[in-house]
Amino acid sequence: MPAIERELETLTVERTADGFVLLTVSVPGHRQNLLTPQAVADLSTALDDLACGSAPRGVILRSGRPGSFFAGVDIARLEELRGRPPAEIAALCDRGKALLARLSASFPTAAIIDGVCLGGGLELALACDVRVATAAGHTMLGLPEVKLGLLPGWGGTVRLPRLIGPGPAVELACSGESVAASAAQRLGLVDACVPADQALDTACLLLTVRGDDGSLAARRLRMARPVDLDPVEREFLESTSAAVMLGRTGGHYPAPPAILQVILAGSAGTAEKASRIESAAFAKLAATPVARNLLRVFSIGERNRRDAGVGDDNAAATIERAGMTAPAIVGAGIMGAGIAASHLRAGFSTAVIDLNQDVLAGGVPSILEEAAWDRAAKRSDPSRAVELAGRLRVSTVMASIAGADIVIESVTERPDVKQQVLAEIEQTVGPETVITTNTSTNPIARLAAGLADPTRFCGLHFFNPVRRMTLVEVVRGPATSDRTVATAVAHAKRLGKCPVVVNDSPGFLVNRILMPYLHEAGELLREGVTAERIDRVSRGFGMPMGPIELYDMIGLDTAFYAGLVLSAAYGDRIEASPVIPALVKVGRLGRKTGAGFYRYSGAGQKERIVAVDETAAAAIARYAHPARESSDRTIVDRLFLPMLLEALRGLDEGLVRDGRDIDLAVIHALGFPAFRGGLLAWGDSLGAAEILRRLEPLADLGPRMHPTDRLRGHAASGRPFTE
Amino acid sequence: MMHHTSATLDPATTPVVVACCRTAIGRSHPDRGIFRNVRGDDLASAVVRAVVERSGVDPATIEDVLLGVTQQRGELGGNVARTVGLMADLPFAAAGTTVNRLCGSSLQALAQACHAIAAGAENVQVVGGVEHMHHLPMESAIDIHPQAFARSSRGMLSMGLTAEQLASLHGIPRRRQEEYALASHEKAARADDAGLFDDELVRVFGHDEAGGLIEAVRDQSIRGDTSLEAMAALEPAFLPKLGTITAATSAPVSDGAAALLVMSAGEAARQSLEPLARVVGTAVVGVPPAAMGTGPIAATRKLLARVAPLGLTLADIDLVELNEAFAPQALHCIDSLRLDAAKVNVRGGSLAIGHPLGASGARIATTLLHALRDSGGRFGLATMCIGLGQGIAVLFERIER
Repeated sequence: MPAIERELETLTVERTADGFVLLTVSVPGHRQNLLTPQAVADLSTALDDLACGSAPRGVILRSGRPGSFFAGVDIARLEELRGRPPAEIAALCDRGKALLARLSASFPTAAIIDGVCLGGGLELALACDVRVATAAGHTMLGLPEVKLGLLPGWGGTVRLPRLIGPGPAVELACSGESVAASAAQRLGLVDACVPADQALDTACLLLTVRGDDGSLAARRLRMARPVDLDPVEREFLESTSAAVMLGRTGGHYPAPPAILQVILAGSAGTAEKASRIESAAFAKLAATPVARNLLRVFSIGERNRRDAGVGDDNAAATIERAGMTAPAIVGAGIMGAGIAASHLRAGFSTAVIDLNQDVLAGGVPSILEEAAWDRAAKRSDPSRAVELAGRLRVSTVMASIAGADIVIESVTERPDVKQQVLAEIEQTVGPETVITTNTSTNPIARLAAGLADPTRFCGLHFFNPVRRMTLVEVVRGPATSDRTVATAVAHAKRLGKCPVVVNDSPGFLVNRILMPYLHEAGELLREGVTAERIDRVSRGFGMPMGPIELYDMIGLDTAFYAGLVLSAAYGDRIEASPVIPALVKVGRLGRKTGAGFYRYSGAGQKERIVAVDETAAAAIARYAHPARESSDRTIVDRLFLPMLLEALRGLDEGLVRDGRDIDLAVIHALGFPAFRGGLLAWGDSLGAAEILRRLEPLADLGPRMHPTDRLRGHAASGRPFTE
Repeated sequence: MMHHTSATLDPATTPVVVACCRTAIGRSHPDRGIFRNVRGDDLASAVVRAVVERSGVDPATIEDVLLGVTQQRGELGGNVARTVGLMADLPFAAAGTTVNRLCGSSLQALAQACHAIAAGAENVQVVGGVEHMHHLPMESAIDIHPQAFARSSRGMLSMGLTAEQLASLHGIPRRRQEEYALASHEKAARADDAGLFDDELVRVFGHDEAGGLIEAVRDQSIRGDTSLEAMAALEPAFLPKLGTITAATSAPVSDGAAALLVMSAGEAARQSLEPLARVVGTAVVGVPPAAMGTGPIAATRKLLARVAPLGLTLADIDLVELNEAFAPQALHCIDSLRLDAAKVNVRGGSLAIGHPLGASGARIATTLLHALRDSGGRFGLATMCIGLGQGIAVLFERIER
């Protein structure tokens, strides 16, 4: 048994009989071990002690918390960097680096990595001479800083290329993806991958053998020197990586190319020089609005994971909700099948009923195919499908869902049919069962009208395709109880979704904010702006596809019916455009018919736009508006300011409990660019006063461009929308 | 050892090629490829059988069979050179080995057979190569160690990206690449129309698009009717939007086989066989993986230096077969070596004929030796670039029959 030498707040120092020192870290107060200031201070203290006492044979750093080596620095600390001068930020980096450098200055060191080892945690491990990872499923290593618009600032870009080569280092640090222990070993990121109970012996063995044969000393030299990279290979790595990144990010994200340049420039000189390059680049990136926005988006996501859906941010612990175990999906159409598949993927045994035998028969194969989808292989795994089939129960009889504890109705969007089915469900299931409806257009209050107990009823709006779209709107009707909302929220999270609670209102949140954008694109077309130009400007803004392409993907008929609902509710600002029914009339329904605004060729992955459809163009021409000023900036203003105004109106109405839910929703459901931080954060980047100025020349377009009182208030006070 | 002037050559250790042949080259297409229903080992067996029959060699004297294959698994697995020897009714005493130098595999098979002859080791040998890129695609069933990328990068696995790099570094615009590819098709189509491939082709069966049995006697990828306009419409194949290389300026994935019979000049005389050419010298060389397309430049220079006693320069070479992996890669080699374009790939290159990896070295050697025979030229050079950064070159001298 090792003897305990010292106990600090986050760290225990022990010495084994054969002279190894174990530093075991447990940082209290967080789900994961984080590099808090206390943890850093304790590590420093422990190293000070070791420098004074008798020299250990080796020092082994490990976590006392199973499943968590170090998940990096505390995000809250990163947020504190905002607005600090670059020199101060660089100095902060250098202070951390000085501590890490002590891990390879005298006695040999090893890190035992069990559980997540991310960001600063991996940089800490990289600073040791040797790394041993446990062959456990929870052991994951990565440098996710890039996802926050940053780069590893504690020597990650210095040590990684020296350890595994610049090419693999660029791949790891620029993607931000984590790798499992076995992959880390293949990369050379860790020296061994062994079962957890063997890790300590392995670390001791490696320190002994490699200390004796001189390879640890050789590695320390290698870690200090420039990287020997052939100039041809260097140039190739630079140009191919830059091209790949440009393709992935559209040039909107400064961190990946910065990391590439830091790794390449840092590799050319000594580690000392590389470290200075890294600190300076970190400080520069930390000051970018993109980093600020990505950090905010990350925090919003974290908040969403904790949010119970009712009450305030701290209500999660106290709120009553049931853990559902027996879900039933009513309706096996496209949405029902997608929802059922996501339940199977999440491990639920799932009942699916459809009163129509043919629909049910058609739905089952697509449920299993989607549930068994192998993301890595990009195809469905047939043996997994067979396995999952055992957990799928299908029936054409309503009585078969009598034992369900949560029901998701997803039959056709006709309100009369939905009402009738919901009433039947209520008569079939027990009194505690939560009943939900997947609808994009029907008011929850109206669907609840026929129910005996509307308190246990809410909307659960999934987006198509369910597999890819993480956002779910939990729609709260006037009678819905807190318990029902909290249960629906918890259930959606178990499906791996991001639920946002929205009050009952036409279009709920997402479609309500989307519609002004689509509508404006249609108006721009009528003014003679080309579809390609509108889409190009929108993509240039950062949207994954332009509004005209989006129309074609949604389907013009679907857009038409959704538009009817929304224009009935918000007719003063969103008139039903005559363009859409005109296209429907000439059979241009979008991609599904091979033509909408555009003509398409190919199918599936290879489907692509051929050209603007001439028939569609002719239909639009009949409803032409006079041309207006249409610079790229004006197009951006026209497309996105009405979305922002609609979001502000929603806030006025209490549509969501927190403005952050709007930004989460537009990023997840509409692909609004994360680097802009969301719709409200984008508004803040302009400022309310500037928005008022930009709306002025657009005022004659009608109420949809008119400022709201809330906007004027922000302009007067200077308060940001995101506060 | 192999590079003395003719007057001083020792017939016992001078390697000569007695015969060579190839199958037509098929497209690796699951619905349209002429060899989609034909096994690769059947193609190899057909060319081995044919080269033995055509040469008139005494089969009992054959000592070894060397076949180049890059994807040595499935129907081309388990040392396919041996099973092909068995299928082609060679005597059991004829040994067999399968070699892999990726795209240079069958030129390597030829080279090492010649080295054996020069060393006084195995003498009469069948060499060649086969690839079936439809049945055995090049990306599947390999697991390259990520540490192999430590000194390069993962991009080195994409030959197209390495060729894009050459195009960008050396300013080879898309239009020039397409003009080159068009010329390759035109030359190949003219040669085909004129029957210039007839002597080198082995008639094997394949299947037409309807599924019916046909004699495969035409290279399937040659397009005499293509145009610069058609090529200009294609999307970049390796770098979306930014790239310059398309399907038209990349060698098509292909299925096919080729074989040559080699022995010492003395053994040919003893069997009263008339050799086509002697192998003057060979060279292989490594280059940075990212610059794999420059392999022929380094290999050709090394080879010429190796045969320095002959005092040869590139100007003395009458015909060159430069394997065309990608148009900018071939163009860069032509530019750097200052090759006379009129001597290079006179019957079209792999951009048109196809590039069945392991078979291509034997294919270009076969086409070169037939073109040399028909033109009356003396020296011929076959050279290829090789994935992950290598080059190979073999120099031939025609022998008057």
